Amino acid sequence: MYLYPFTYCAPTTVDEALGLLQAHPDGKILAGGQSLIPLMGLGLAQPSALIDVNNLPGLEGVVEDGGSLRIGALVRHRTLETDPGVRRCCPVLAEAASVIGNIRVRHRGTIGGSLAHADPAAELPLVATAMGATLEIRGPRGSREVAAEKFFLGYLETDLAPIEMVTGIRVPVVDAGTGCGLAELVRRAGDFAIVAACAVVSLDDAGRCTRAALALGGVGSHPVRIRSAEALLVGHALTDRRIEDAAGIVPGELDPESDVHASAAYRRAMARVMARRALAAAAARAGARL
Amino acid sequence: MMTVRAEDTGGRRRLEFVLNGRPVEVWVSPHETLLAVLHDALGATEVKYGCGEGVCGTCTTLLDGAPINACLLLGLQAQGRAVTTVRGLRGAGGLHPLQQAFVDHESAQCGFCTPGMLLVAYVFLRDHPAPTRQQIRAALAGNLCRCTGYTRIVDAVEACAATHRASREAT
Amino acid sequence: MGIVGKALPRFDVADKVEGATLYAADWSLPGMLAGRLLRSIYPVARIRRIDVTRARALPGVAAVLTADDVPQNAIREDATGANRAPFDTPVLAAGRVCYQGQPLALVAAVSEVVARAACDAIDVDYEPLPGVFDVEAALAPGAPRVHPDRENVLIHWRLRQGSVDEGFRRADVIVERTYRTQRVDHAYLEPEAGVAWIDGDGIVTIRSSTQVIEHFREIAEVLGLPHNRVRVIAPFLGGGFGGKEDMTVEPYLALLAWRTRQPVRMVWSRQESLLARPKRHPFIMRCRTGADRNGRLMAQEITLLGDAGPIPLLSPRVLFAALVVGAGPYRVPHVKVDAKAVFTNNVPTSAMRGFGAMQVTFAYESQMDLLAERLGIPPLELRARNFLRKGDRLPTGEKIETHVALPEASRCALDALGDRSRPSSASAKVGRGFACNIQPYGRTVWFRDQASAWIGFEADGSLVVRAGVTDLGGGQAAVLAQIASEVLGVSPDRIAVHIGDSALTPLTGGTFATRQLYMSGNAAWKAARELRALVVPVAAGLLEASGPDLQFADNEVRVAGSPERRIALARVVAECARAGVPVAHLSVFRGDQAPPVDRESGQGKTFPDYTFGCHAVEVEVDTETGTITLLKHVACHDVGRAINPQSVAGQIQGGAVMGIGQALLEEIALEDGNNLTTLFANYLIPTSLDVPDIRPIVLESGEGKGPFNARGIGEPPTGPPPAAIASAVWDAIGVRPLELPIAPERVFDALEAQRTGAGSETPEVTR
Repeated sequence: MYLYPFTYCAPTTVDEALGLLQAHPDGKILAGGQSLIPLMGLGLAQPSALIDVNNLPGLEGVVEDGGSLRIGALVRHRTLETDPGVRRCCPVLAEAASVIGNIRVRHRGTIGGSLAHADPAAELPLVATAMGATLEIRGPRGSREVAAEKFFLGYLETDLAPIEMVTGIRVPVVDAGTGCGLAELVRRAGDFAIVAACAVVSLDDAGRCTRAALALGGVGSHPVRIRSAEALLVGHALTDRRIEDAAGIVPGELDPESDVHASAAYRRAMARVMARRALAAAAARAGARL
Repeated sequence: MMTVRAEDTGGRRRLEFVLNGRPVEVWVSPHETLLAVLHDALGATEVKYGCGEGVCGTCTTLLDGAPINACLLLGLQAQGRAVTTVRGLRGAGGLHPLQQAFVDHESAQCGFCTPGMLLVAYVFLRDHPAPTRQQIRAALAGNLCRCTGYTRIVDAVEACAATHRASREAT
Repeated sequence: MGIVGKALPRFDVADKVEGATLYAADWSLPGMLAGRLLRSIYPVARIRRIDVTRARALPGVAAVLTADDVPQNAIREDATGANRAPFDTPVLAAGRVCYQGQPLALVAAVSEVVARAACDAIDVDYEPLPGVFDVEAALAPGAPRVHPDRENVLIHWRLRQGSVDEGFRRADVIVERTYRTQRVDHAYLEPEAGVAWIDGDGIVTIRSSTQVIEHFREIAEVLGLPHNRVRVIAPFLGGGFGGKEDMTVEPYLALLAWRTRQPVRMVWSRQESLLARPKRHPFIMRCRTGADRNGRLMAQEITLLGDAGPIPLLSPRVLFAALVVGAGPYRVPHVKVDAKAVFTNNVPTSAMRGFGAMQVTFAYESQMDLLAERLGIPPLELRARNFLRKGDRLPTGEKIETHVALPEASRCALDALGDRSRPSSASAKVGRGFACNIQPYGRTVWFRDQASAWIGFEADGSLVVRAGVTDLGGGQAAVLAQIASEVLGVSPDRIAVHIGDSALTPLTGGTFATRQLYMSGNAAWKAARELRALVVPVAAGLLEASGPDLQFADNEVRVAGSPERRIALARVVAECARAGVPVAHLSVFRGDQAPPVDRESGQGKTFPDYTFGCHAVEVEVDTETGTITLLKHVACHDVGRAINPQSVAGQIQGGAVMGIGQALLEEIALEDGNNLTTLFANYLIPTSLDVPDIRPIVLESGEGKGPFNARGIGEPPTGPPPAAIASAVWDAIGVRPLELPIAPERVFDALEAQRTGAGSETPEVTR
């Protein structure tokens, strides 16, 4: 019920927030708090300052802009889950948000926070990687963009510098010939995934795959794209058999660890199953006849 | 070994918000979660500590009508907001129909999960007046109960929805 | 009967839905301090030095206590009740720790923040030592000792009936397997909590979430005070399940209040509760079962090993209960059971709903399924040929004195499953299974159990019931009102029940062992009948009728057959006062009593009686992942008489889900004594999406030793689910789980073995 004492700041502009990050080297951004506050309660994180960004303007929009959906960093999982724009433009993002934690977590947790926290089993980093999303980052020297795939570096480790913050994410809008799928293995609904797969495929008018992305989560320190599996799909019709073969490549490309939740061997085997399910769902939604 | 910090008594701030429809004012330190503020400072013992991880649901509170984990919100973050606990469900005429349904169906045994469960069910029914049992189960999946096995909780929510629909159709 | 047998709303539920109930942590007194424990990081270590100087110097710290500051730093246990294994457990560890999380020091401060800072400021110089973390290793010759002064076997119970050698000779089929169950946590939603203060007349008062107010005696011993200077009050608990049966916060709160002379609150974090609070015993069960070709059981040879952790707590009793019912609810002429509680340096283990009798259900029912399959006899038919009946003897030699409703229960449960569900996908398989169980209710009879209750009329005819029961959420308080209402005719809304105060309510013994209805229910029933007998002559005089013609109902006394002849109870009470007839009465109910069983053979009377039941389930197995989904669950128990049918059904549903949690999801994982499961996020109890509707079927045989011939129902429903689910998994995919939880990875591995043809002809789901 009581955290360790810290200095509390509530900036009203992004620049002010960045200035506070610089002034408090041991400080942390407080967005949704659904990951940070439990850590503080357990004594595993003891930031000297919390910079509450929940009142910063301009970080809560969901805007369709060209072929992208621009989502502000403060957009809550619950918004992603229910917003008609997200559901239309990027359905797998809504689907991923809908299985995060529980309803209470989803009302506060933010996409910016989830991506910056970078838990290897979390759904949003996985989807961002598969979708080829781009993160918008602001620092004292200005803004920059990073592809999701280059943003997640290791266990809870990202490209974000301590004096930077995520301000938004751009996700390509899913067009008519594109389908996405998400498949995850969980012990109970809402738990962190043991293994999860997110697939995006595009088909041309002849039903041939023009583009494929397959990302796996929970199998390493961060989500990974399995390019060898993707290569097997591009240029071909997506039959059950071809999808099976592509999924069959996945285990060999992974080197997961064993822990209390699952052994490495089981993770490898399940990565294959989840990859197949995600690809099958994506292919079906793209209009493939399987 | 962890660094020892003295209590930050100098950092107290005035916190004003609306609790169950009534304005309240209390001085809090930043490290007090909303749960601590409600339970200890304001005597709202119906909001409970169960895990501190946001997993169990016993601290469920509505913030501007949305269910959140009071144990994961700083008290100061409730500034100017409307906070509702289970005590805010009761109407002028007595128990909220959902509370009455819990009594009728004996959907509470030890009762520790009950305040949180009621708030989540209340919000769910507000937005989904004609749910299936499976939809009810999905809505309540984030609130843990160790006593009832959930069947009677689902029974009460379903019955309440049906009664409400019947009374609306009758008018 | 007008009241008993009705689904009356329980009086406590109305407060609970309003959030008005004040649980242990909801109590506040002026000047209240925050208490906190410092716990050992290592499972086994010598404590070279604890330096509390810096902690004591922090502003706002009221007290820092270590072992030396505890007047009597030993809780003496004799869990067997037969003086077989007395043991002293320190309140605060001195010199060495023997499990991870063992309390070392105790702090009281002006706030939780300062208390935590003080704990952080205590310097402990540990010398980590090797420990014993495996039961079988602990039993090996030459194994290091967990305690220098005694063997690693805490207790070895023996049960011998007939000759198993003879039995196996006469068996046509013998099945032998080893089953394992895991460490499980109670995971009540309310963590351990309480407030203590010194009352006006110097009484150390503890108001805590406890199942047993009688702990005031042990607390007094710890403080070096006479027993009558300590008072324990139990408010409504947010769940107990056996986890609050041993003391939790009480001795620590008492020490701090006594030392500081200020009120103190202590609430354990969920994480420290998961880390260090006693768990359900993991069991290793080696079973050898023989039957003749007609399916009649000939012999059961069973070895039970329970990991008792380093402190005994209730381990001897848990293993005893397992011993008594380890062969199942079946007639077996030749039985040999050896049940051992073994010391290790793992997290302590003690009581949890089911209490040993729960774990063995998984083993004896799986054995019956295996026999049925070997013999080609349908599993229900095999059991029907062997079910115990009233008048038969358990392997302990004692007669079953009440009806055994297993034939009806098993048929009801299976019939209620309805049509078989179709698989939801190409890779899914559906299966069905069932399991029967026997669970004792009431304490072991040589504990000479007793309970008291006081019932009295107020002048206006309203009623007061005083009984020291603790209410865990199972309606323990409300049922007393229902019983009193039935006998004395006072309407339930005019009955006040005062519970759980060791100074003010007659003692009933704690709420555990499914004993409360049997004991305090009978005590209340007795008190009500005896009080009624006192007032009947006065009422008879007023109505000019004879005693046997009187009826007590609706706050009146009436003459049977003459509706116009009635008077208000208040008038009867007034007349009693005038005539000097007491209108209040205290009764004591004594449970069945007998001397301890024979040490070598286990022969003798053990428990007062048993509750029998059967669960039937339908599952779907995803053969690609090993995931199991529970589709249907029917739970049928004979409760003798259902005093409140709704409460009975609720206990059955809740107990079944707890059993399902153990079957499929829950596990406290330890590695070399280090607890890996200390987050609630990682301790997986079932959510509403993990279980289907639990359909309870309540049978009322009319036979039982509780009030109105009721039987206890708190623990029995936890037993059957793991075996029933294992049976259904076997039906679905032809693999036999031998270990709990039946986790997806284990199922997957067994399916792989089956697919590749590796291993035995019946692949089994093991570690």
